[in-house]
Amino acid sequence: MQWNKDDIKQYIEVTEYVDTLLIPLMPFTMNMDKQVEKIVVQGELIKIFSSELERRFKGRIFLTPSFTYLSESDKGNGVEQLNKWVEEAMDNPFKHVFFLTFDAQWKKFESKMNGNLLWFPSVQSGDLNSEATKSMIKDQISQVMELIRSYW
Amino acid sequence: MSEKRKQVSRRQFLNYTLTGVGGFMGAAMLAPMVRFAIDPALQTSAQGDFKAVAQVDEITTEPQRIDWTIDQVDAWYESEVTKSAWVYKTEDGDILALSPVCKHLGCVVTWQGSEEYQDQFFCPCHDGRYYKDGVNVPNTPPAAALDVFQHKVEDGTLYLGKAVPREEL
Repeated sequence: MQWNKDDIKQYIEVTEYVDTLLIPLMPFTMNMDKQVEKIVVQGELIKIFSSELERRFKGRIFLTPSFTYLSESDKGNGVEQLNKWVEEAMDNPFKHVFFLTFDAQWKKFESKMNGNLLWFPSVQSGDLNSEATKSMIKDQISQVMELIRSYW
Repeated sequence: MSEKRKQVSRRQFLNYTLTGVGGFMGAAMLAPMVRFAIDPALQTSAQGDFKAVAQVDEITTEPQRIDWTIDQVDAWYESEVTKSAWVYKTEDGDILALSPVCKHLGCVVTWQGSEEYQDQFFCPCHDGRYYKDGVNVPNTPPAAALDVFQHKVEDGTLYLGKAVPREEL
Protein backbone atom coordinates (compact mmCIF):
# COMPACT_ATOMS: atom_id res chain seq x y z
CA MET A 1 0.00 0.00 0.00
CA GLN A 2 1.30 3.40 -0.92
CA TRP A 3 0.65 6.74 0.64
CA ASN A 4 -2.03 7.82 -1.80
CA LYS A 5 -5.78 8.19 -1.69
CA ASP A 6 -6.79 5.02 -3.50
CA ASP A 7 -4.47 2.78 -1.55
CA ILE A 8 -5.38 4.30 1.79
CA LYS A 9 -9.07 3.79 1.04
CA GLN A 10 -8.34 0.14 0.41
CA TYR A 11 -6.04 -0.08 3.39
CA ILE A 12 -8.72 1.13 5.78
CA GLU A 13 -10.87 -1.80 4.74
CA VAL A 14 -8.20 -4.46 4.98
CA THR A 15 -5.91 -3.26 7.79
CA GLU A 16 -5.63 -6.70 9.33
CA TYR A 17 -3.98 -8.10 6.20
CA VAL A 18 -1.31 -5.42 6.00
CA ASP A 19 1.03 -6.26 8.85
CA THR A 20 4.36 -4.94 7.60
CA LEU A 21 5.54 -1.36 7.72
CA LEU A 22 8.30 -0.28 5.36
CA ILE A 23 10.03 3.05 6.00
CA PRO A 24 12.61 4.13 3.41
CA LEU A 25 15.39 6.35 4.76
CA MET A 26 16.24 9.05 2.26
CA PRO A 27 19.50 10.98 2.65
CA PHE A 28 19.65 14.59 1.53
CA THR A 29 22.35 17.22 1.25
CA MET A 30 22.92 20.52 -0.48
CA ASN A 31 26.64 20.30 0.00
CA MET A 32 27.84 19.85 -3.57
CA ASP A 33 31.13 18.14 -2.89
CA LYS A 34 32.31 14.83 -4.21
CA GLN A 35 30.05 12.93 -1.83
CA VAL A 36 26.89 14.36 -3.29
CA GLU A 37 26.67 12.03 -6.23
CA LYS A 38 26.86 9.00 -4.00
CA ILE A 39 24.11 10.36 -1.79
CA VAL A 40 21.87 11.07 -4.77
CA VAL A 41 22.38 7.55 -6.10
CA GLN A 42 21.51 6.14 -2.70
CA GLY A 43 18.29 8.13 -2.78
CA GLU A 44 17.38 6.93 -6.24
CA LEU A 45 18.03 3.35 -5.25
CA ILE A 46 15.86 3.75 -2.17
CA LYS A 47 13.02 4.88 -4.40
CA ILE A 48 13.47 1.99 -6.81
CA PHE A 49 13.76 -0.61 -4.05
CA SER A 50 10.87 0.60 -1.97
CA SER A 51 8.45 1.02 -4.83
CA GLU A 52 9.33 -2.36 -6.29
CA LEU A 53 8.94 -4.07 -2.91
CA GLU A 54 5.61 -2.34 -2.49
CA ARG A 55 4.50 -3.45 -5.95
CA ARG A 56 5.36 -7.08 -5.33
CA PHE A 57 3.93 -7.17 -1.79
CA LYS A 58 1.18 -4.61 -2.17
CA GLY A 59 -1.32 -6.50 -0.08
CA ARG A 60 0.92 -6.91 2.92
CA ILE A 61 3.38 -4.02 2.98
CA PHE A 62 2.53 -0.47 3.92
CA LEU A 63 5.07 1.88 2.39
CA THR A 64 5.34 5.16 4.27
CA PRO A 65 6.59 8.40 2.72
CA SER A 66 10.40 8.44 2.86
CA PHE A 67 12.00 9.57 6.09
CA THR A 68 14.25 12.31 4.80
CA TYR A 69 17.32 13.37 6.77
CA LEU A 70 20.38 15.51 6.24
CA SER A 71 23.12 13.08 5.41
CA GLU A 72 25.51 14.77 7.86
CA SER A 73 23.04 14.92 10.69
CA ASP A 74 23.22 13.14 13.99
CA LYS A 75 21.59 9.76 13.53
CA GLY A 76 20.66 9.58 17.19
CA ASN A 77 18.05 12.29 16.61
CA GLY A 78 16.84 10.48 13.55
CA VAL A 79 16.37 7.28 15.50
CA GLU A 80 14.27 9.12 18.06
CA GLN A 81 11.99 10.50 15.36
CA LEU A 82 11.77 7.20 13.57
CA ASN A 83 10.75 5.46 16.74
CA LYS A 84 7.96 8.02 17.07
CA TRP A 85 6.77 7.06 13.59
CA VAL A 86 6.75 3.44 14.59
CA GLU A 87 4.99 4.15 17.86
CA GLU A 88 2.26 5.97 15.99
CA ALA A 89 1.96 3.24 13.40
CA MET A 90 1.58 0.59 16.08
CA ASP A 91 -1.96 1.83 16.74
CA ASN A 92 -2.67 -0.23 13.66
CA PRO A 93 -1.93 -3.90 13.84
CA PHE A 94 1.58 -3.95 12.36
CA LYS A 95 3.67 -6.96 13.25
CA HIS A 96 6.85 -6.13 11.37
CA VAL A 97 8.71 -2.89 10.86
CA PHE A 98 11.51 -2.47 8.33
CA PHE A 99 13.76 0.49 7.69
CA LEU A 100 15.38 0.45 4.29
CA THR A 101 18.69 2.24 3.77
CA PHE A 102 21.95 2.26 1.85
CA ASP A 103 23.61 4.51 4.37
CA ALA A 104 25.97 2.59 6.66
CA GLN A 105 25.81 5.26 9.36
CA TRP A 106 22.47 3.88 10.52
CA LYS A 107 24.04 0.53 11.21
CA LYS A 108 25.59 1.78 14.46
CA PHE A 109 22.18 2.72 15.80
CA GLU A 110 20.46 -0.45 14.80
CA SER A 111 20.01 -1.72 18.34
CA LYS A 112 18.14 1.45 19.34
CA MET A 113 15.73 1.27 16.43
CA ASN A 114 12.26 -0.09 16.94
CA GLY A 115 12.32 -2.34 13.94
CA ASN A 116 14.56 -4.22 11.57
CA LEU A 117 17.16 -2.21 9.74
CA LEU A 118 17.72 -3.45 6.22
CA TRP A 119 21.03 -2.00 5.17
CA PHE A 120 22.59 -2.87 1.85
CA PRO A 121 25.79 -1.70 0.23
CA SER A 122 24.84 0.22 -2.89
CA VAL A 123 26.36 0.63 -6.30
CA GLN A 124 28.49 3.71 -5.84
CA SER A 125 28.71 4.88 -9.38
CA GLY A 126 27.74 3.93 -12.86
CA ASP A 127 24.54 4.29 -14.79
CA LEU A 128 21.42 3.15 -12.99
CA ASN A 129 19.75 2.61 -16.34
CA SER A 130 22.34 0.30 -17.82
CA GLU A 131 21.21 -3.28 -18.35
CA ALA A 132 23.92 -4.68 -16.11
CA THR A 133 23.01 -2.47 -13.16
CA LYS A 134 19.31 -3.09 -13.72
CA SER A 135 19.66 -6.83 -13.58
CA MET A 136 21.87 -6.53 -10.52
CA ILE A 137 19.26 -4.40 -8.78
CA LYS A 138 16.51 -6.83 -9.76
CA ASP A 139 18.51 -9.64 -8.30
CA GLN A 140 19.12 -7.71 -5.10
CA ILE A 141 15.43 -6.91 -4.80
CA SER A 142 14.42 -10.53 -5.08
CA GLN A 143 16.88 -11.33 -2.30
CA VAL A 144 15.37 -8.62 -0.13
CA MET A 145 11.96 -10.12 -0.86
CA GLU A 146 13.18 -13.48 0.35
CA LEU A 147 14.52 -11.82 3.48
CA ILE A 148 11.23 -10.08 4.24
CA ARG A 149 9.31 -13.28 3.61
CA SER A 150 11.46 -15.08 6.11
CA TYR A 151 10.10 -12.76 8.80
CA TRP A 152 6.46 -13.53 7.87
CA MET B 1 -33.57 58.29 -57.25
CA SER B 2 -32.09 58.43 -60.73
CA GLU B 3 -28.70 57.16 -59.93
CA LYS B 4 -29.75 53.78 -58.65
CA ARG B 5 -26.45 52.25 -58.07
CA LYS B 6 -26.13 48.65 -57.18
CA GLN B 7 -26.68 49.45 -53.60
CA VAL B 8 -27.29 47.03 -50.81
CA SER B 9 -30.59 47.83 -49.25
CA ARG B 10 -30.97 47.99 -45.53
CA ARG B 11 -33.09 44.83 -45.62
CA GLN B 12 -30.49 42.94 -47.60
CA PHE B 13 -27.68 44.15 -45.41
CA LEU B 14 -29.45 42.96 -42.28
CA ASN B 15 -30.25 39.68 -43.98
CA TYR B 16 -26.65 39.04 -44.86
CA THR B 17 -25.19 40.01 -41.54
CA LEU B 18 -27.77 38.12 -39.51
CA THR B 19 -27.38 34.99 -41.61
CA GLY B 20 -23.64 35.30 -41.29
CA VAL B 21 -23.58 35.82 -37.56
CA GLY B 22 -26.34 33.28 -36.97
CA GLY B 23 -24.49 30.79 -39.08
CA PHE B 24 -21.38 31.18 -37.01
CA MET B 25 -23.30 30.79 -33.81
CA GLY B 26 -25.06 27.72 -35.11
CA ALA B 27 -21.78 26.21 -36.23
CA ALA B 28 -20.20 26.93 -32.89
CA MET B 29 -23.00 25.03 -31.20
CA LEU B 30 -23.17 22.18 -33.66
CA ALA B 31 -19.50 21.45 -34.10
CA PRO B 32 -18.93 20.00 -30.63
CA MET B 33 -22.18 18.06 -30.88
CA VAL B 34 -21.08 16.46 -34.11
CA ARG B 35 -17.70 15.78 -32.55
CA PHE B 36 -19.34 14.00 -29.64
CA ALA B 37 -21.67 12.05 -31.91
CA ILE B 38 -18.87 10.61 -34.02
CA ASP B 39 -16.36 10.41 -31.20
CA PRO B 40 -16.28 6.61 -30.89
CA ALA B 41 -15.34 6.43 -34.54
CA LEU B 42 -12.39 8.76 -33.99
CA GLN B 43 -10.99 6.88 -31.04
CA THR B 44 -7.73 5.11 -31.75
CA SER B 45 -8.65 1.48 -31.85
CA ALA B 46 -7.66 -0.86 -29.05
CA GLN B 47 -5.16 -2.31 -31.50
CA GLY B 48 -2.81 0.51 -30.62
CA ASP B 49 -2.56 -0.71 -27.07
CA PHE B 50 -1.10 -4.05 -28.05
CA LYS B 51 2.60 -4.53 -27.46
CA ALA B 52 4.86 -7.12 -29.00
CA VAL B 53 6.24 -9.11 -26.08
CA ALA B 54 7.58 -12.44 -27.31
CA GLN B 55 8.01 -14.89 -30.14
CA VAL B 56 5.32 -17.55 -30.21
CA ASP B 57 7.79 -20.40 -30.67
CA GLU B 58 9.47 -19.48 -27.38
CA ILE B 59 6.25 -20.18 -25.53
CA THR B 60 5.92 -23.60 -24.00
CA THR B 61 3.26 -25.37 -22.01
CA GLU B 62 5.06 -24.26 -18.86
CA PRO B 63 4.10 -20.77 -17.66
CA GLN B 64 6.93 -18.29 -18.20
CA ARG B 65 7.19 -14.82 -16.89
CA ILE B 66 7.35 -12.20 -19.60
CA ASP B 67 8.11 -8.57 -18.80
CA TRP B 68 7.61 -5.59 -21.04
CA THR B 69 7.29 -1.85 -20.59
CA ILE B 70 4.58 0.57 -21.58
CA ASP B 71 4.39 4.33 -21.38
CA GLN B 72 1.81 5.22 -18.84
CA VAL B 73 0.45 8.73 -18.71
CA ASP B 74 -1.01 9.64 -15.36
CA ALA B 75 -2.64 12.95 -14.70
CA TRP B 76 0.60 14.63 -13.70
CA TYR B 77 3.43 12.74 -15.20
CA GLU B 78 4.37 10.22 -17.78
CA SER B 79 6.26 7.17 -16.72
CA GLU B 80 7.55 3.91 -18.02
CA VAL B 81 5.80 1.06 -16.33
CA THR B 82 6.92 -2.54 -16.34
CA LYS B 83 4.16 -5.03 -16.96
CA SER B 84 4.43 -8.75 -16.46
CA ALA B 85 2.42 -11.76 -17.51
CA TRP B 86 2.59 -15.48 -17.04
CA VAL B 87 2.31 -16.93 -20.52
CA TYR B 88 1.93 -20.51 -21.68
CA LYS B 89 0.27 -22.71 -24.29
CA THR B 90 -2.81 -24.56 -23.16
CA GLU B 91 -3.46 -28.15 -24.18
CA ASP B 92 -5.47 -27.14 -27.23
CA GLY B 93 -2.60 -24.98 -28.44
CA ASP B 94 -4.09 -21.64 -27.44
CA ILE B 95 -1.97 -19.05 -25.70
CA LEU B 96 -3.02 -17.95 -22.26
CA ALA B 97 -1.46 -14.82 -20.74
CA LEU B 98 -2.34 -14.38 -17.07
CA SER B 99 -1.92 -11.21 -15.09
CA PRO B 100 0.37 -11.75 -12.10
CA VAL B 101 -1.64 -9.43 -9.87
CA CYS B 102 -3.32 -11.31 -7.05
CA LYS B 103 -7.07 -10.75 -6.88
CA HIS B 104 -6.96 -10.59 -3.12
CA LEU B 105 -4.95 -7.46 -2.36
CA GLY B 106 -2.77 -6.94 -5.39
CA CYS B 107 0.54 -8.63 -4.65
CA VAL B 108 2.45 -10.33 -7.43
CA VAL B 109 1.96 -14.07 -7.79
CA THR B 110 4.56 -16.54 -9.05
CA TRP B 111 4.24 -19.86 -10.81
CA GLN B 112 5.54 -22.60 -8.51
CA GLY B 113 6.05 -19.91 -5.88
CA SER B 114 5.46 -22.44 -3.15
CA GLU B 115 7.42 -25.64 -2.67
CA GLU B 116 4.32 -27.56 -1.71
CA TYR B 117 2.19 -26.62 -4.70
CA GLN B 118 4.36 -27.06 -7.77
CA ASP B 119 1.54 -26.84 -10.30
CA GLN B 120 -0.06 -23.68 -8.99
CA PHE B 121 0.42 -19.94 -8.87
CA PHE B 122 1.27 -18.72 -5.41
CA CYS B 123 0.88 -15.34 -3.74
CA PRO B 124 3.59 -14.72 -1.14
CA CYS B 125 1.55 -12.22 0.87
CA HIS B 126 -1.31 -14.28 2.23
CA ASP B 127 -0.73 -17.70 0.65
CA GLY B 128 -3.36 -17.25 -2.02
CA ARG B 129 -3.22 -19.93 -4.72
CA TYR B 130 -4.45 -20.35 -8.28
CA TYR B 131 -4.59 -23.38 -10.53
CA LYS B 132 -2.60 -23.36 -13.75
CA ASP B 133 -5.58 -21.97 -15.67
CA GLY B 134 -5.65 -18.99 -13.29
CA VAL B 135 -8.74 -20.04 -11.35
CA ASN B 136 -8.43 -19.38 -7.63
CA VAL B 137 -8.08 -22.37 -5.35
CA PRO B 138 -11.08 -22.46 -3.00
CA ASN B 139 -10.42 -21.71 0.66
CA THR B 140 -7.44 -19.49 -0.10
CA PRO B 141 -7.83 -15.69 0.24
CA PRO B 142 -8.47 -14.71 -3.41
CA ALA B 143 -12.13 -14.59 -4.42
CA ALA B 144 -11.66 -14.46 -8.18
CA ALA B 145 -9.54 -15.90 -10.96
CA LEU B 146 -6.48 -14.06 -12.26
CA ASP B 147 -7.13 -11.50 -14.97
CA VAL B 148 -6.33 -12.51 -18.53
CA PHE B 149 -4.43 -10.35 -21.00
CA GLN B 150 -6.01 -9.82 -24.40
CA HIS B 151 -3.64 -11.30 -26.92
CA LYS B 152 -3.12 -11.69 -30.63
CA VAL B 153 -0.52 -13.36 -32.79
CA GLU B 154 0.90 -11.81 -35.92
CA ASP B 155 3.75 -13.31 -37.94
CA GLY B 156 4.83 -15.50 -35.09
CA THR B 157 4.96 -12.63 -32.61
CA LEU B 158 2.79 -12.48 -29.55
CA TYR B 159 1.12 -9.16 -28.78
CA LEU B 160 -0.51 -8.47 -25.43
CA GLY B 161 -3.11 -5.84 -24.69
CA LYS B 162 -5.03 -5.05 -21.55
CA ALA B 163 -5.69 -7.40 -18.66
CA VAL B 164 -9.40 -8.08 -18.27
CA PRO B 165 -11.26 -9.85 -15.47
CA ARG B 166 -12.56 -13.31 -16.28
CA GLU B 167 -16.27 -12.45 -16.24
CA GLU B 168 -15.79 -9.95 -19.04
CA LEU B 169 -14.25 -12.45 -21.44
